Amino acid sequence: MNAALVIPFGRTVYLFTAGSDRPTGFRLPDHRGPTRAAAISSAEELPGALVDALDRLRPAEELHVVGEALARTLADRTGRRVVPPSSVEWMAARRALPSVSAAEQRTFVRTVAAEALATALRAPEEVLITLAREEERLERAVGREQRASEAMLEVPGSPLVEYLGRWAVTRAALERHHRALVETLESTARSVAPNLAAVVGPRVAARLIAAAGGLGALGRTRGARLQLLGSRRRPSADRGPRFGVIYRAERMTDVPSDRRGAYARSLAALASIAARADATTRGAIAPLLVRRRDRRIEQLRGRRR
Amino acid sequence: MTTARRFEADPTSPRLLRRRYGDRTELWTEAAGELPPVYGEGWLERDGRRFRRFEPARSKLSAGIAGGWDGPIPRPGERWLYLGAATGTTASHVADLVGGDGAVYAVERSVRPFARLLATSARWPPLLPILADARAPASYADLVPPVDGLYADVAQPDQVEIVLANARLLLSGPGAALLVALKTASMGRDRSAGRHRDSAEERLAREVDLDAAVKLDPFHRGHFLVGGRWRGEPNARPRGVIRSPGTPRARRRP
Repeated sequence: MNAALVIPFGRTVYLFTAGSDRPTGFRLPDHRGPTRAAAISSAEELPGALVDALDRLRPAEELHVVGEALARTLADRTGRRVVPPSSVEWMAARRALPSVSAAEQRTFVRTVAAEALATALRAPEEVLITLAREEERLERAVGREQRASEAMLEVPGSPLVEYLGRWAVTRAALERHHRALVETLESTARSVAPNLAAVVGPRVAARLIAAAGGLGALGRTRGARLQLLGSRRRPSADRGPRFGVIYRAERMTDVPSDRRGAYARSLAALASIAARADATTRGAIAPLLVRRRDRRIEQLRGRRR
Repeated sequence: MTTARRFEADPTSPRLLRRRYGDRTELWTEAAGELPPVYGEGWLERDGRRFRRFEPARSKLSAGIAGGWDGPIPRPGERWLYLGAATGTTASHVADLVGGDGAVYAVERSVRPFARLLATSARWPPLLPILADARAPASYADLVPPVDGLYADVAQPDQVEIVLANARLLLSGPGAALLVALKTASMGRDRSAGRHRDSAEERLAREVDLDAAVKLDPFHRGHFLVGGRWRGEPNARPRGVIRSPGTPRARRRP
């Protein structure tokens, strides 16, 4: 590549090479950047390292290399803080670019989309949500099979015996798979939302995050709403639901059954604080919340301290 | 044997077709992709052309057209920006309307529906998915060339502002089409659907030559199809924060 013209345009860098009148677009991943659309530089002025980096690149790959090098170059040359373009500059730059062929444009947009989706799905939070939904489904399946085993009457010598034996093997495999999944889910939940996992238990924490649609969304959920996440009944003024996912929370069984509504209310308030910490500051506030939770349980069991 | 039902092409958008059964009219679009159907919709092949049922109950755009919308509709060869594409039910029909020479830039923020949208787009050539938040048009402006039309179905309290921000940045210029499937239930419950529509229209009218809004009842309760032709920047825009009677207030808790 001898002569090239590089136009950084928002998150995309357009590259014009000699002998081609058509630009190639490179999109910068997560670029909050120090570049400016108006800054146009020619390859002769670019440092050799950058030209080499550009040479090795294929569209939508290793773009942070270009992004960083370009930003450094532009900042060095201008000696100024370089700011993102305004909307007017966007439009101007967009009009200045020769039109890319429709087919190329389509491929480019789809490549960017596939990459954005892959990045989003690799995020631990998304992994956790997927796992939580999978686990919930599997738990139902395991429960169904267990109930089926109670209904199934085995009589020695029955022609069903062989079938039942095979079914039991399948069932055991399903349960093993479920246990392994729960372990993965719990360790993911502890790393994504440590405080929440400590307060309500990792499995319920994962389900709460899945029900809210994300850790950020859960962090914005009030306690009263969090208490009902995952409940299937409609809220109503006279007798609405008192529990959702939270009914399965840690230590719920230590509370007398007629005080569980009150426990769910207090726990939801603590859980919403924990979720907020996990979604924002990531500070370790769990010990404090767990102490408060345990004190509340003592109260509800009628042993005041 | 029944008599063959004739498809009648829409005069402004020839890939939109109508079939009449007595007093009932069905809407169909000419498919821009191959079988299988995108979301289980009706499918018909005739004379080498493929048609997909465009049902008002499934799509706010269809409900609007069925309800007598006489504003702009996506036409063959046009580029459209689609905000709030979700899994691509309506977006795939918009892609049908613009056909193979056009393009629909479908913006969706949620990851899970987007995965399905991306899968659909792989076999629906004009449909181009973008994983982004429609509140930040600058984050995808580099992917979208100036468009001939904008369709929005974003169901947010500030949906009108989202639409206008996108229109200012990405519409090709005066005369471009702008359609909003307005969900009034997202704009606060402190006033009626009609009042919400009025306030939305009032804000849109500063920059858009509006056509008559269509109420989407009974298919989509509390929704309207509003929009028209983009006029351009308002003549006198107030400085600072724009406060109109329609700006959604903080919702009171019940």
